[in-house]
Amino acid sequence: MRPDTALRDESPVLLEFREVSFGFTEEEMILDGFNLSVGAHEFVALLGPSGCGKSTLLNLSAGLARPFAGRVLFQGEPVAGVNRNVGYMTQGDTLLPWLTVARNVLLPLEIRRSPVASRRAQLAAALSLVDLTDAAAKYPSELSGGMKRRALLARSLIYDPPMLLMDEPFAALDAQLRETMHAELLRTVNRTRSSVLFVTHDISESILLADRILVLGGRPLTVRDVVCPPFGKNRDLDAVRSSVEYARLEANIRSVMYRPKTSAELSLAAVPA
Amino acid sequence: MQVAVIALFFGFWEIAADRWIPALFVSRPSLIAATMWKWMLDGTYLRATWATLQATLLGFVAGASTGMVAGYATGSWPRLGVVVAPIMTALYTLPRLALAPLFLLWFGLGLEFRVVFAATIVFFLVYYNTYFGVREVSGELVAAVRIMGASRWQLTRRVIIPSALTWVAAGLKISVPYALVGVVVAEMLAGSEGLGYLLAKNAEQFAAHATFAAIAGVLFIALAIDALVTLVTRRALKWKTMGAPTL
Repeated sequence: MRPDTALRDESPVLLEFREVSFGFTEEEMILDGFNLSVGAHEFVALLGPSGCGKSTLLNLSAGLARPFAGRVLFQGEPVAGVNRNVGYMTQGDTLLPWLTVARNVLLPLEIRRSPVASRRAQLAAALSLVDLTDAAAKYPSELSGGMKRRALLARSLIYDPPMLLMDEPFAALDAQLRETMHAELLRTVNRTRSSVLFVTHDISESILLADRILVLGGRPLTVRDVVCPPFGKNRDLDAVRSSVEYARLEANIRSVMYRPKTSAELSLAAVPA
Repeated sequence: MQVAVIALFFGFWEIAADRWIPALFVSRPSLIAATMWKWMLDGTYLRATWATLQATLLGFVAGASTGMVAGYATGSWPRLGVVVAPIMTALYTLPRLALAPLFLLWFGLGLEFRVVFAATIVFFLVYYNTYFGVREVSGELVAAVRIMGASRWQLTRRVIIPSALTWVAAGLKISVPYALVGVVVAEMLAGSEGLGYLLAKNAEQFAAHATFAAIAGVLFIALAIDALVTLVTRRALKWKTMGAPTL
């Protein structure tokens, strides 16, 4: 039952963790010999309880933290310093309040000192991608919650990063708006063909969006299960939500997520770092 | 409504003077208005206002610029901030008036004394606001812009300075009237020109009408300066009020 594997197996590996270890102290490791690979245009959800180390995976991918041991490779190259080939979006409202939407979205280009001549076209493309063209001259304080999310998405995508790192990007939204944003996110990344590494603790969100779900437990971070929702890239989220398959996956994941640690996991966790 | 209240107040004052209250102390509005008119025509106001404004402006610029630089430096290098903090607190708590005799000794009776005196008042107001402004910059915003690959200088220019500007602007706004206070006090203490001098000289001679006329002059510049600062800061902080419910 892995109808999506063909796409993944043919696509090149974009991001790879090889035996990566990381921790804030030597005694308590968050990652201990962790392996992961994400293909081009693949949507991978990292599903797990708070504090299990999901965000650490994103920070290592973005080059904001360095592994103690092992290697993080992006497009085959080790990540050294801030990884400029990824877009990063968190649940926080990180639009600069003193800049208009347009200036906020342009900010990554200005920081990269990208050619000025093409900026106008890039801005127009990014804004139209998230349907914010009419709000270009507005300040963040004038935007609704959903518009802010879309502006942040446009800012993460304006330099065409091959991968988006998203850390619970819609956690602060109400349920209805979250559903709208799910559909918009899928539509957007299907157009840009970006890979997504998406951190969430919401089972339903992971099933709706991801091609592959890693069900995680901590600490150190372990992969308890890998689930591939068989809905394809151009899925209709309403149809998915009411499908039998969706209910089955949710029940499966729930049982895996909340079961006690298996003896294998316990013995693994007990090994001193 | 306000106009009516003020008119009523002046009317009462005019009637009360020398009936219930000795005019020696409070004078009367008609006499004050006549003095103001005379000073306006013979250039007394112009000369005094110019002297006071000049010292206020210089004192404000000197105090605000050094305050901003010092506040930014101690705010962005925490270690420096820790070292400097007790010194700043000591200097800040010291009544500035206590320093006046020393400044007189150092700078004499001229313009320098008034400027330095006003600058020391402005310095601390701007310093503390800049310091807290830099310290209060949202870590989330800094992280978000750092992820875009921003260098330390880009972070400073793009995030820290604009973000601290709200505080700095508040510091500037409150310190402008204080600069004026500093100059007027300095002129009253020791000086031969300016509105403060005009005020002190006339008070010494029991010329209540002229004292009130001088106060009116001070009030006028204070209001004019405040209106100017409000205009400037409102433009600089336009983003803050956009989208906020207007009254």
